[in-house]
Amino acid sequence: MSTPLIWILLPMLAAGTSLFFLRYRYILRWSGLGFGLILVVSGLVLPINEVFKFLFWEVKLSEQLLIFGRRFILSGADRPIVILLFSLWLFWLLIMDPKLVPAQFIPLSLAGICLILTAYSVEPIFYGALFFAFLALIYVVLLSPPGKEPTPGVLRFLIFQILGMLFILFAAWLASWIDLNSGNQVMLARSLLILALGFSFLLSIFPFISWISMVSERNHPFLSGYIFNTYFLGVFLFGTRFILEGGWIGQGLDIQLPFQLAGVIMLSSGGLIAIFSKHLGRLMGAVIIAEIGRSLLAISLFQAGFPIYFGMVILQSISLGVWSISLTQLQQGIHDLDFQSAAGAARLWPVITSGLLLGYFTLAGVPLLGGFPIYWALGSGLSFYPLWINSIFVLSTLGLVYGGLRLLGVLTKNAGEESILILAAPSYRYLILGLNVLLVLIGFLPQLIFRITRTISDLLLGS
Amino acid sequence: MSDLLQSLLLALLFFCGTGILIGSSRRWMTGLLALQYVEVFLFVSISWPLEIAVVKLVAGWMASAVLFLTYQNMIEAEPESWFAANPPGTAFKGFAALLVGLSVYSLVPLALRWFLGATSQQVLGGLWLLGLGLLQLVLSRDSLRIIIGLLTVLSGFEILYATLEASVLMTGLLAILNIGFAFLGAYLLIASNLEENP
Repeated sequence: MSTPLIWILLPMLAAGTSLFFLRYRYILRWSGLGFGLILVVSGLVLPINEVFKFLFWEVKLSEQLLIFGRRFILSGADRPIVILLFSLWLFWLLIMDPKLVPAQFIPLSLAGICLILTAYSVEPIFYGALFFAFLALIYVVLLSPPGKEPTPGVLRFLIFQILGMLFILFAAWLASWIDLNSGNQVMLARSLLILALGFSFLLSIFPFISWISMVSERNHPFLSGYIFNTYFLGVFLFGTRFILEGGWIGQGLDIQLPFQLAGVIMLSSGGLIAIFSKHLGRLMGAVIIAEIGRSLLAISLFQAGFPIYFGMVILQSISLGVWSISLTQLQQGIHDLDFQSAAGAARLWPVITSGLLLGYFTLAGVPLLGGFPIYWALGSGLSFYPLWINSIFVLSTLGLVYGGLRLLGVLTKNAGEESILILAAPSYRYLILGLNVLLVLIGFLPQLIFRITRTISDLLLGS
Repeated sequence: MSDLLQSLLLALLFFCGTGILIGSSRRWMTGLLALQYVEVFLFVSISWPLEIAVVKLVAGWMASAVLFLTYQNMIEAEPESWFAANPPGTAFKGFAALLVGLSVYSLVPLALRWFLGATSQQVLGGLWLLGLGLLQLVLSRDSLRIIIGLLTVLSGFEILYATLEASVLMTGLLAILNIGFAFLGAYLLIASNLEENP
């Protein structure tokens, strides 16, 4: 028995099996919730590399699985990642409305989480790029539910991810060549350039950002939200491990500046798109692009930035979750998600639109909400770096806030319409309210989040 | 394999890649794709043992068969002539393919410095497929063409990568990826006709 068997193969098997039960969506959801909870608890309590008693048997859980000479390792130090990923899945499963979200979300999202864990655990790590290609295939199916044509954004997403995989595999081969010819700066520069290109495709760094806005505009808001949340988290985890294990930092290279440059470009792109967006979906895309930028800036701070990054992940999940369910519910009342159609929606459906506003403003970094203390910490960390980085950081945040104010203006506009249509079941309205309260609470008690994220990053970097 | 045979294979590979790009009939496209995989297999077999290289052929043919069977069973009619009813478009694609071919040819001496264990035909073949596949991806919005474009890009990469590394796991994963692309293409073709849920 090994940890990859329990946390990768077993859930993958469960995901495959549940594809046969798509008709029974409520049963699927509840059993998924139970299974997710078991996975999270197993991540918390299962001892690794120690003999323990399970029912009648004495079991020893090994941390690695060997397949065709390659190792898949999930050690004790990787526990936080396992718990984080399965908790995210559990969270999205908990907030999904089975009436409005395609049933295949449950098995495919679980398979996606397993593939992220596989990419993270494989050794040598560059094999992970291949698993991201499989993940892209699954996410394309998820974003193209039955009865819907595949959108151009989804196809572009697929193309970019496959190209990214090819570049990373090639760069990894070049890097292995450098070991034999140590000191070859030309080869090192070439492989770094190709690697950067590969990760730019995977992380949708400018100019490869177009698919984000396209997907957020045309695809199901809940599915898009989930994919943005987990895909980029997976790529960041994989990338971090790639850099740490590949010894890229130890080569005496300055990778901080490229990270910050990419981060600033992404953040400013997000800010600019938010200013000019006239569509609720595109606004979500703008925030996601900005979040990728902030994540890059956080990781550029290395040890000091990891707790901030994981704080952002937790916050992003809650905010995107509330935004996505609110948008999914709102879509039932308005025919389109552009600003014109959404005008005055706050007067008709105040609870649902409050989810949109709080989710957005949290990610924009408005004071008193959960995002503010985390972005403040990020800004403080960046204050030791050149002024232009800090200036763009502040200006882009203002751009995001401006986009939110426009959204507020549109949603509260008196469109002179009256509707007796009640959107969302009471349980979902309470859920939106509850998540709103949570976002405000995090704003007041950020130390709770930071305590968790510091533990996560200590465990990870300690490995 | 002799130089002459490799050069002949190369010419056939370029013909297949260009044919897939400019052809409008789905049947022809799949047929050429299956033929392309034969050439990919032969190029890979220069660097790898035959029993591992044959995985590329089997996976490629499976992928082609999946795609072929899917639209064979689709109700909607499709143009069955080789060329589309759009001669300027076809001419443009053909010209673009020629340009890609020429520019890749000029890059071969440089590329040979990177792929030390490869023959010039292998490098040229791999780069041609990469270029033609990318061209397909750039010029098309149709999901089937995009999938075939990705399969072509992956084939080019596989020829080049085979000259660098021979790993069983990598070969297996790339084969699964090829078949995965085909299944995805099949799903995307029929997705809009499936029963909507919810």
